[in-house]
Amino acid sequence: MSRVQQNMPVFIMSALLLAYGLIASSGVLLPTMKYLHTHKTMDLQATMCLIIAAIGLFGAIVSSVKKPSDGLFDRFFLQPLGGIIFLLLLAMFIRWYAEPMVKLWSSALAPLLGFKLYKVLNLNYVVLGLLVGVVVTNTIGIPKFAAPGVKCARFVLKMGVIMLGARYSFAELAKLGIYSVWLIGIFVLGTVFLVLWLGKVFKQPKTMTGVLSAGMGVCGVSATVAVAPVVKAKSEEMAYTIGTILSFGIICMFVFPTVGHLAGMNPVQFGAWAGTGILNSAQVAAAALAFNSVDIKTLKVAEIFNITRVLFLPVIVLVLATWFGKETGQKLSFKTVVIDKFPVFILGFLLLFALSSMGLFSPPNHYKGKFIDVSYNERTQITDEEWHSLGSAIADGTLTLLSESQMSAVNDLHDQRQIAGNFDEREDKKLFDKVGRSRMAELEGILAAAKAKQLSLPGELTSIFNHAVKQVHKKSKTVTTLTDVMIWFFAFGLIGLGMQITKKAIFQAGGWPLLIGGIAGLLKATLSFFVVLWLVKDVVLN
Amino acid sequence: MFKNILLCSHGSLGAQKAEEYVFTKLMPGFPGATVSVLTIIDKDWAEMSTDDWLNTSTTRTQFKDYVDEQLGREIAVDWQRMKEAYPLAEKVRYYKVVGGIEETMAELAEKLDCDLIVAGAYYKKPRRLFSTKMTPGLADTLVNKVLHPILPCPLLTVP
Repeated sequence: MSRVQQNMPVFIMSALLLAYGLIASSGVLLPTMKYLHTHKTMDLQATMCLIIAAIGLFGAIVSSVKKPSDGLFDRFFLQPLGGIIFLLLLAMFIRWYAEPMVKLWSSALAPLLGFKLYKVLNLNYVVLGLLVGVVVTNTIGIPKFAAPGVKCARFVLKMGVIMLGARYSFAELAKLGIYSVWLIGIFVLGTVFLVLWLGKVFKQPKTMTGVLSAGMGVCGVSATVAVAPVVKAKSEEMAYTIGTILSFGIICMFVFPTVGHLAGMNPVQFGAWAGTGILNSAQVAAAALAFNSVDIKTLKVAEIFNITRVLFLPVIVLVLATWFGKETGQKLSFKTVVIDKFPVFILGFLLLFALSSMGLFSPPNHYKGKFIDVSYNERTQITDEEWHSLGSAIADGTLTLLSESQMSAVNDLHDQRQIAGNFDEREDKKLFDKVGRSRMAELEGILAAAKAKQLSLPGELTSIFNHAVKQVHKKSKTVTTLTDVMIWFFAFGLIGLGMQITKKAIFQAGGWPLLIGGIAGLLKATLSFFVVLWLVKDVVLN
Repeated sequence: MFKNILLCSHGSLGAQKAEEYVFTKLMPGFPGATVSVLTIIDKDWAEMSTDDWLNTSTTRTQFKDYVDEQLGREIAVDWQRMKEAYPLAEKVRYYKVVGGIEETMAELAEKLDCDLIVAGAYYKKPRRLFSTKMTPGLADTLVNKVLHPILPCPLLTVP
């Protein structure tokens, strides 16, 4: 096969992206985008497609004419390029087409079903992405050209967590850190010892309970992978344990966000619960984004819990190695047990946190919420519930006492679901920003009048306007950009990780690991639910 | 009649029936025949770290190396069991190959120029979800629909 033929998938994907980018920028797709409520991302869609198409074409041409080698350029750019573009294509399709379609179909089916399917199953782009990954790998399989790129998903997800480091303040990290160290400490150690005890009760070998206790207690499959060589687990013990944890994690990914919503958990509570109760770390991130994919508060909390769990991993490995070594006389070095298991990416997370805390990403004019971003961004929108309430208030005539300009700002907030300039004027950045800021000022005027009791405003509307105004106050432009990139990294990473979940691995679930793991997992999820509701209060997150 | 026989075994109940048939009936019946025992290491073990993304690549490599070693140990034990059960099993060649069940069987049979492949019949096992009995390795079943078109020689399934 010639090199051009080998690169054909990349050529085709790049050509598709180029064509889509050009069509999107021409405005032909505007009616469709408006129907799907994605028109505000029109410019982003065109830009992203054109940039990726250009990179793809460049890579495919170079790869076609260049002799393959084992150099850095080949290993880190040319070889994974096909897979990276493949995952990005899926991520873009899911975010701009699949998710809006699922929402529309769910709404259309709501009268028949009595509920909105996407709300019950939390079918946002993150969950859909993970599911698409699972479906692809278990049906057509990962295409050969995409395999090296799909492997990048783990790295990209770690980069996402590193970027998340820029979103924490010292106070947040300190408060969340205390919660997570206590909760994780108690639940990790509690589950590990519970599984070891249940293993003793059911007379199961230590090799099995050792590997299962780490998986159930710490961070699912990751802990199983780290501990199996230490406790000398047998093949069936690894297979049954991994299958059980994976199945449990996938069920939790759907059940947790729904239960969290039903129980009225706030983002901090849900993040803490997911970070403690869900076994597998990938599903913690997915559940957090499923609970709320627009606002990253939940993800921030859940990831702190995830990180704390990972930091506990070397400790648990050390404990199990000592416990197992006593029985077998096996001696392991500190390097093998602890140093090799240390998650290095957490140092990157801490570095970005430190740089952000020193104000490196926040120039003086941006710092402390002075940076106002009225550009189109999903994370700047009000929630669906707020949007419906606002629509009802406008229709009912609750807001008759407002001035004409104030009413116009309120109507526009309802039309655009966020404070922004006019869609048709988005090319003129200065004008767009000016109009957006004037609308924000009108809404702030309404809030000030309500506070001074010059205007009677229902509490629900005050809350909506407050939220809308708060949404456009950003910490800094750099941090906002980092967050936008991070969200794409998580979407990309979770699709790639979904592709690592084979039905064969899931169907390994069973045997003693399912029985013991089921008891321990359910107990951990239930107890942590009540403990979180009881102990964890809202933490003010920026 | 048969000169080159490939016995596929992985220690299950069905496979043990096939072993018994080969070592007590076929080999004494065809004294000149060469028997090769094939144990397949499921290629999907490579994917068993599934969605783990927190570990370093060193840890994942350690896991893969450990799985290789452990499967090697378990296969050695199974071959030893065979040798202890049947004296003739000392005289056969043993192969462990990483791959998919059907294609590995067909490929090795072709490579060794076998004229007969012997495998055990499918035995209904209790459902994994409802049973605490655990079987070694990854759960997988030979799919006749996949195997039959690629068979280089006849297949004998021992009931």
